[in-house]
Order: sequence, then structure tokens, then C-alpha cells
Amino acid sequence: MIHFDNLGKAWPDGTKALSDISLHIPRGQFCVILGPSGAGKSTLLRAVNGLMHPTQGQVRIDGTALTHATQKQLRRRIAMIHQHFNLTSRLSVAANVLSGLLPVVSTPRALTGWFRSEHRRKACGLLQRVGLAPTHLKRRAGDLSGGQQQRVGIARAFMLDPEVVLADEPVASLDPKISRDILTLIRDAAREHNTTVLCSLHQIDLAREFGDRIVGMRDGKIVFDGTPAEFTDERVSALYHGAHWEDPPKKAEPEAAGFELAHV
Amino acid sequence: MQKPIPVPAPGSQVHWHLDAPYSLRHLLIIAAILIVLILTGQRTEMDKMVMMTTEAAGKLLGVADDSQVVRGLSRVATSMWPPVLGETEEISRLPEFKRDQLPILSRIEVQERVEQRMNTETLQLEPHSESVEVLVKPVGYVVSVFIKMIETLEIALWGTIIAVILSAPLAYFAARNYSPNQASYTAARGFISLLRSAPELIVALFLVLAYGFGPIAGVLALGLHAAGFLGKFYAEDIENADKKPQEALEAIGAGKLKTLWYGVVPQVLPQYIAYTAYILDRNLRMATVIGLVGAGGIGQELKGRFDMFQYGHVMTILIAIFIFVFILDQLSARIRNKLI
Repeated sequence: MIHFDNLGKAWPDGTKALSDISLHIPRGQFCVILGPSGAGKSTLLRAVNGLMHPTQGQVRIDGTALTHATQKQLRRRIAMIHQHFNLTSRLSVAANVLSGLLPVVSTPRALTGWFRSEHRRKACGLLQRVGLAPTHLKRRAGDLSGGQQQRVGIARAFMLDPEVVLADEPVASLDPKISRDILTLIRDAAREHNTTVLCSLHQIDLAREFGDRIVGMRDGKIVFDGTPAEFTDERVSALYHGAHWEDPPKKAEPEAAGFELAHV
Repeated sequence: MQKPIPVPAPGSQVHWHLDAPYSLRHLLIIAAILIVLILTGQRTEMDKMVMMTTEAAGKLLGVADDSQVVRGLSRVATSMWPPVLGETEEISRLPEFKRDQLPILSRIEVQERVEQRMNTETLQLEPHSESVEVLVKPVGYVVSVFIKMIETLEIALWGTIIAVILSAPLAYFAARNYSPNQASYTAARGFISLLRSAPELIVALFLVLAYGFGPIAGVLALGLHAAGFLGKFYAEDIENADKKPQEALEAIGAGKLKTLWYGVVPQVLPQYIAYTAYILDRNLRMATVIGLVGAGGIGQELKGRFDMFQYGHVMTILIAIFIFVFILDQLSARIRNKLI
């Protein structure tokens, strides 16, 4: 589904954000990218929808390389859930969810806010699915609590039936209880639609609990790639405290698709 | 026992060094500023202004004998008072006058007029009395000033509407992060500077030549200048808007216009309303002035009366402008408090 081919990114000042990342994420997998701050998790995620352009290597979605030419088409199939929710805080919850449809809605409809009735029904259905009440529809998004805002963000992400959901630290600004609810919601919604999820996290317990697979990153390199069961405490301390990883990191080549777990 | 903190002797080896607060450089700067003030002050006759004002103050206090300023002001004041409220028109000069349908608040009076006429036999000018029927409107001039004030408000309103319509596309092209390319950005910024640099009165002067006397020139003059102002401020708000919602919409490929509409406009709307309210406020004041060059509204009436030395009428107009601006100031302050 998603292939990272020798991906590298150097910032203009010469700092290396990513170096030589090769990964394959099969369809329907919930893959957690785990690592300390500054490990390059966000940069890796942002390479998938072209918010960041790599200086080396490429990303392929279903075999199509992401370039400036293909970006517009590919982006419609890739949703994103953001750490700070990135809602338009002065717009209503309904308008925020409907804005998830903007790539496929005609300009006159978008500018007048006159969305098709099936689209409006879909927005309502998704808001119900993420656990909000009908009274929330007309509230301003900025007036909701953090957890509720992230629910709106999830509803917006699923409006276009995405094949891939990129969740960039979706629970970093939420408390532990709500974090668990939000991740459950993303995982379950993804399973219902057989959506591939690439989710960056920095909480080890959440990564173990929700990931089908954990990719550990440090200093722009992959230092662990395996199932939560393989992610033992020694590997955790190596990821967070150890200077270097002893074994060469597992290369997740296409044949590693056998690694894919069974999905409900 | 307390010991004083030792002060390093002058010239001793200390690494830190704090200069005295003023130096020769400061003196030179002050001298330069003084020279500029003296030169420009002389050219703008500031010395004469001080003398004349002192003289006027002296006259008012009974110290000085005469003051040009006081004489001028009192001449104007006496000729302006009382303000003219009514109007009288000779009925014989009214083309479509109907005796049974008098305009409201008006009456017919017969006035005796004494005119000097030439006697055809003696070829001498002789006083000759004549009775003329006139239509008296006791508040006729107040009503016509009121109507002119309403026209002024309409000019201000439409000037603002035109400004908003013009500035929306200008702001899009003048916002660095939305303008399609460098050329369109530079062109839009240049056009905005051009609009902003041309004062309304001067623009109106030329528009009167193009569109003739009347409100069109006024509306366009106000609209063009304000479009520059709004375009600049709208564009800067677009550039400084919160990037997060825009990133969310960019990430799914929503396109620039839709991203702007859903990710930026709702966020900057309160500022936009504040700018637009300011422009409406400013246009209301400018619309009273702009008629001086013939661009419609109360200013045009004011200029006409002033040129005909009808200072009583001028007074009525000035009072009307004051009352209108005062009421509108109060109103706009209330509206602004509600919005923000």
C-alpha cells in the first residue's frame, strides 16, 4: 500500500531529518511510528501526502510515486488527523466536517456552503459515529473540548472514505483516558473501512496497545520494526535511552508483507 | 561593620566599561534637528502664526487694539448667523405649481416689493411697489439639506461596497501565500500602493471630468481609495492567519480558493468587519468633503452656497454635518462594541 523507498530529508541548514528510510505498510494495517521528539516521525508522515518533499528517495502509494503531478489526485485518498486538531475554530462543527469533502465539491457549492443532502447526511452519520451529539452540529469548533475537537477531526478525515489515514500525534495534547478513546475510535473506524493507518505516537503503552506493528524511530532512522510483542522493554530503553541500536534495523521490504496481521 | 563597595580607580584595568549617557554625537544630532525646525518653521510662517495668534488673544483680553484674525473670524461669524432654515420661491417662477396641492409645511404669502424701475416718459428710475405671491417653506432649506445628507450617506455606503468588492480579489493576489506567482503579487501590491497614494479629493477631481458632476464620481473616488486600504489589510490578515486549518485542508488537496474560504476567511472575519466598519466611518466623513470638487452630496451644496456668499446656508450645512457625524459616531461605536 505505502512504500517508502530510501527516503531521505535534509533541511536547508544541512540537518538530516530522515535518512534512508525504507518501509512497506500493507493495506489495512495500523502502524505506529514511535519515537522521542525530533526523531522525524512527523516528517515521515508528511512525506506521504506531500506536505514535505523528500530530498532523496520517494514514496509510492499503490505503486504510484508521489510527485507534484500525482500529488493532487493522491491527496484525496489520504486523510490526516493532526496533533492540534487543525479545525477552523470559528466555523461550526458541521462546516468543519463538510470541509473534508472540499477536494470533490464544486467551487460554487463550496463557496455557498450548499452541500448535497447525501453529503450532509454523511457528515451527520460520521459525527454520530465519533460520539458527538446533534447539538454539537452548529457549535463553533473552537468552543469544544480538546477530545471533542479531535473527534470532529476524525469525522472530517473519514468524509472522503480515505484509503490511508495519517495520524500525526493525534493524542499528544489530550489526557490519557481521552487518548485511549480517540485511538480506539481511529482504530475501529479504520478497521470498518479497511483503511491503512500510519500513526505517530510518543507514548509506549499506547503504541503497544493499539499498533498492529510498531516502527521505532530515532534521529531520522528506523531503529525497530516489529509487532508489539517483539517490542520488549530492552528495545524500549534502546529506543529512548541507548545511544545506538545493536542489531541492524529490520528492513521492511515488500516481502515483509507476510508480517501483516489478521484484521477483523 | 559595613564596607563600601570598592570603586575601580580611573584608568585602572577593568574589562567592563560604561560610557557617559551623552556625547558630542548627541549634541550634533540636537543641533541638526534645531536647524531643520528653524528652516522649515520659517518657510511655513510659524513665526507669523505665533504673532497673529498672540495678537488675537490680546484683542480678546482687551490688551491689543486690533487683530486681523479676530476681525476675519467675527466677520464670518456675523454673516453666518442665524442659519437659514426656510426657503421662499416666487410662485410665478414655479412651472408646475398647483394651488390646491401645496407641499407639506408650506404656505402662500403675498409680499410687497419695491423695485427701481425706469419711467419710460421721464427716463428716470422711480421706486415702484409690486405685490408678489411667494411660496414660503419655513423649514424648506433644512429639508433639502437633510435630503443632501441622505445622498451623502448613500455615497459613503456605495463607496464602501465598491471598496469591498474591489479589495477581495486584490487581497487574494496581494497575499504572498495565495498569489499564484511573483508577478501577480508584485502587480497587486503595486496597484494597492497606487490606490492608497491617491487622495480621494484628487481622484474625485479627475473622476468628475470623466463622469460629470454628481454622486458617481464621489462613489468611485471613495471606493478606489478604500479598496487600496482594505486590500492591504485583508492581504496582511490572510498572510498572518493561523496556518493549522489551512494545512489540514491543503493536506487533502482542497485547492487554494476553497482553502482560503474554509480555513482563512472564517478566522479573520472579525478583523475584516472591523476594517470595513472603519472604512464606512471614514467614508461618511470623506463623503461630506468630496462634494467640494463636484462629486455629489452635501459638499457640493456647501461649495455652491459658499461661492454665492450665502453664509447663512453654509451655517445650516455645517450644523447638519456636525449632527450627522456625531450620531453616526455614536452608532458605529455601539455596533463595534456588539461585534467585537
